Amino acid sequence: MASSRSGRAVPYLLLLPAGLAIVAVVLVPLLVSLYSSFTAYNMTHPATLYRWIGFRNYERLFANSDFWWALGRTVVFLMVALNLEMVLGLGVALLVSRVTRGQRLLRTIIMFPMMFSPVLVGFQFNFLLNDNVGLIDNLLLQLGVIHQPIAWLVGTWTANLSILAAEVWMSTSVFAILLLAGLFAMPRDPLEAARVDGCNAWQTFRYITLPYLAPFITIAMTIRSLDVGRAYDMVRIMTNGGPAGRTELLWTLMARVGFDNAQMGAANAMAYVSIILSITFSVYFYRRLLASRRFLGEIA
Amino acid sequence: MTFQIGRWTNRLRAGLAGLAGVAAVAGVLAPGAAPAQDYGTFPGYTLKVKLIGGNQYDPLYTRIPEWEKLTGAKVQVLSSKNGFDLDKELKADLATGAVNWCAGWDHTSFMAQYGELYTNLFDIVPKATLGAFLPRTLDSAVIDGKLMLLPWHTDVSDMYYQKSLYANADNQAKYKAKYGKDLAPPDTIDDFRNQVEFFANPPKMYGTVFAGKEEGLNGRFYEMLLSYGGEYLNKDDKPMFNSAAGVQALQFFKDIYAAKAVPAGTINYLWDDIGQNFASGSIALDFDWPGWAAYFNDPKSSKVAGDLGVSRAPAGPSGKRLGWSGSHGFSVTKACDNKPAAVSFISWMTNYDTNMLEAHRGLMPANAKAFDDIITEVKAKHDDYMTNVFETWKVSLAEDAYPVPHIAQWIEISNASYPEFQAAILGQKTPQEALDAAATKATQILEDAGLLK
Repeated sequence: MASSRSGRAVPYLLLLPAGLAIVAVVLVPLLVSLYSSFTAYNMTHPATLYRWIGFRNYERLFANSDFWWALGRTVVFLMVALNLEMVLGLGVALLVSRVTRGQRLLRTIIMFPMMFSPVLVGFQFNFLLNDNVGLIDNLLLQLGVIHQPIAWLVGTWTANLSILAAEVWMSTSVFAILLLAGLFAMPRDPLEAARVDGCNAWQTFRYITLPYLAPFITIAMTIRSLDVGRAYDMVRIMTNGGPAGRTELLWTLMARVGFDNAQMGAANAMAYVSIILSITFSVYFYRRLLASRRFLGEIA
Repeated sequence: MTFQIGRWTNRLRAGLAGLAGVAAVAGVLAPGAAPAQDYGTFPGYTLKVKLIGGNQYDPLYTRIPEWEKLTGAKVQVLSSKNGFDLDKELKADLATGAVNWCAGWDHTSFMAQYGELYTNLFDIVPKATLGAFLPRTLDSAVIDGKLMLLPWHTDVSDMYYQKSLYANADNQAKYKAKYGKDLAPPDTIDDFRNQVEFFANPPKMYGTVFAGKEEGLNGRFYEMLLSYGGEYLNKDDKPMFNSAAGVQALQFFKDIYAAKAVPAGTINYLWDDIGQNFASGSIALDFDWPGWAAYFNDPKSSKVAGDLGVSRAPAGPSGKRLGWSGSHGFSVTKACDNKPAAVSFISWMTNYDTNMLEAHRGLMPANAKAFDDIITEVKAKHDDYMTNVFETWKVSLAEDAYPVPHIAQWIEISNASYPEFQAAILGQKTPQEALDAAATKATQILEDAGLLK
């Protein structure tokens, strides 16, 4: 009896170290940060971690239009960036999959942008888009396309599009590589059957290739939706959310409040409101993943 | 057990070395002692430090091995990051209480935040050492009677300009006809505004360029405000910048922006962007820091090299010249286990020789004798430009410079205010609306900090 009980405990004992590690590195920080969002915690005054202020951080947040604008802008930025990267990445992957010579070299070249650190990408685009000494404006002026420089990083539309362009340039290759792997993993039989049945290229892509790629697209979207936060460094360098809050995203706002201003309690309150955004995206993509796997018959 | 004995032996050795250091530093630096400073000996001790990183600071750190050789101590650099990242790390150290290091970078604009991290240097640095610094520069590092850092070089802005624009007879005639004054480097803010607009001919030439975001914009607004006779905070730390003087100060930036006398992108510029713009030759006047002096006059990096003049900052209607000043420096942590070694280190890193090393790179020394000697040196070399640079900045540092308000919330208030200032400059709000909004945010920050009721 005793030995049978100890036998049942073995799996739990074996899982215990992993469980403890998860508690230590995930659960405890989450609970501490949740607690601190109800305090006046200022990093330069550690004692403030114990000054309980109830829902004041949250009340201020809900009344703060800057925060809601940043949240809305972030949602739009995420949706536009992800879809653009997906479409462009899919296009690149389809083109590369058809290349018969030098494909390895092409794959390596495609990966170049993802090797740059976001900070470096920010500096590059900042320099390219500078309205006085930047390459793009000077080129356009020399060619006579424009007669006055364009302040790319100042106007609401141009600044947000510039950041979007930098993000898309940096991360499209992630989609391209993941979708290329999906294309290589596709069975050839359905494609050949479609050709025999007289399907044209669009029909083959729409009804064969795309459904097979759907799980890869969804996984790539899920990873990237969480990963677009890496764009923080890039936005920080290019505009730091400005001018006048025109390009403010959640990450720039939270980092400024939490680290520059040392108001970690208020920043954690922002983080807990915005975590709803991450959960929403994750749940949505997870459902899409299940649906596409069900479509392919991988699960019942 | 061996480990325990070894650890205690090391502690004893460090303690004795520390005592020896105290005796050496205090004894030799006492008033009337020989000018050659004794930095003590700390054999076997490892001093842990956190320093600002970047190419511009590397020459300074060549002084570290010399200090190690002199004192027998070792320096372990725990961190070397840019100022803003290091600021975050110092705050994280404060938050976690993980301060296991002794000496670190500091800056007069940031130091008020580190009150719980760094110790009062008046208590541990000999008066003779302090006497070597420029008085006004050292004063700017004092908060509530506590000396927070020893400055290694100091900054205040003065005006760089393209001399050929002023020597041009056509420009002189047109300027005289338009403004009724001779064309000369701006002595007042009105002159500055007039000349900025006069020289502007975009996209070939802009009048000037300014820091359009973050603390850079708030700092520029701050000095403009004071020159217009306003005050940023009153004696009770209540925000007062949304005054008539504040409106005039913000209007200055709004006017030159609306007149297209500055590149439109200036609203996103910080110091590097500004320097690159002026060096490109497309900016007539640049109100900027002294650290650029050598760079601007180097033909490899600047198109305005050889055509450069510098003049003192312009004055506002109050008679006060623009004078927002800041100093990089070194501080000693309260948790330091060997303060004499730390004091020796920061004294070495801010002494005459270090200041001369920095001065040879065109930076403004914080050491009074180094300032005099570098001027003598460049004069002897008949380097008129650098002579002019050092002499101009010496006057500015002695008569015009002042630090930011000594409150820990300066950076936080800057972050809250600058988007409002930008909104005014871009025409989204009137200056008064923007200043009122910024003052409301600043008031809330100061109330939260317990500085305002």
